[in-house]
Amino acid sequence: MATIRVIYENGSPERVIEFDPAEAPFQHDGQPGSVLDVLLGHSIHLEHACGGNCACTTCHVIVRQGLNRLSEASEQEEDMLDRAPGLTPTSRLGCQAVIEDLHAEIVVVVPRYTINQISESREG
Amino acid sequence: MERPTYRARVERIFDHCEDTRSLFLRTVSDTLPQYSPGMFVSISIPLANETRVRPYTIATSPEDGEPFELCFNLVPNGPGAAWMFDRTVGDLLDFTGPFGAFTLERAPDCEMVFIAEETTIAPIRPMLRRALSQSAAHQIHLLYAAERSQHLLYRPELELLSNAYPRFRFEPLVIEHEFLYQRLLDEVQRRWVTSDSGRSRHFYVCGIGSGVLKLRDLLREAGYERRAVRYERW
Repeated sequence: MATIRVIYENGSPERVIEFDPAEAPFQHDGQPGSVLDVLLGHSIHLEHACGGNCACTTCHVIVRQGLNRLSEASEQEEDMLDRAPGLTPTSRLGCQAVIEDLHAEIVVVVPRYTINQISESREG
Repeated sequence: MERPTYRARVERIFDHCEDTRSLFLRTVSDTLPQYSPGMFVSISIPLANETRVRPYTIATSPEDGEPFELCFNLVPNGPGAAWMFDRTVGDLLDFTGPFGAFTLERAPDCEMVFIAEETTIAPIRPMLRRALSQSAAHQIHLLYAAERSQHLLYRPELELLSNAYPRFRFEPLVIEHEFLYQRLLDEVQRRWVTSDSGRSRHFYVCGIGSGVLKLRDLLREAGYERRAVRYERW
């Protein structure tokens, strides 16, 4: 079984999920077995304004542990992450980061700001 | 941070053709937040056993105010699209946003090329209008492709713009679906890769499927800067 621990920068209570990656997908949005898929499939909300289609950065997470247990980021994901507020070297889009290791122990941080709305936008 | 949810009422419906529709929406108790051309809103779609969120690009310009327009087609087996198609005048929709990184707030100081297919003209339309209003000196191109001519949306408007702005070249293309992206790749290759060594142009590509990524790769591998090739894949 794999585990994912979710830490919220805004102080909301942490959540821990144990799951079997082989049972993915858990619901309809994001790549099957992605952080987004796992969280939504276990009734944990993660913003995904574009429906998990790599067209926004609202599912931006910072991977604190287990980065090498996730699928490699595509160029499309990297292009989108370029525009994420609070980008870090271990940032991923939750809808694209697939947990591939059956025994992975993943820790992610949900940043306080994960939006592309006009008030946070960079030059277009 | 709790994200606000807005409610809008369907004020008008326009059918571009039998499977492509626009809803014109007006917010009920708030005004639509300020946004950049190209952004989308995230609509809450109530289905039988769950509520899903689906993105729909705002096809009108921020300068136009409300009502704002969402343009979409009826996707086979797409529950979200079917629900949207079932909306009637007076219906209420809940949404968050606007969101999005495929935007054009300020036109770059260079030639611009926009590429779209069918309903993916939705973000391109307000971006193009912003570019025309800001960029007085540079050429602007729009390659707009569809399998059937009735899927070339806003064609009269785009033709009017090309007449009004001599530096804007509008190129509608009717191409069989299986050849569509190869034709676009060939056009881009011929005109902006092979034809000259200049690499200062900016590209804005919106389309469906892997063809968008092939266009991206063609341009970047030809030497265009990564951030000069902007794209949104539906």
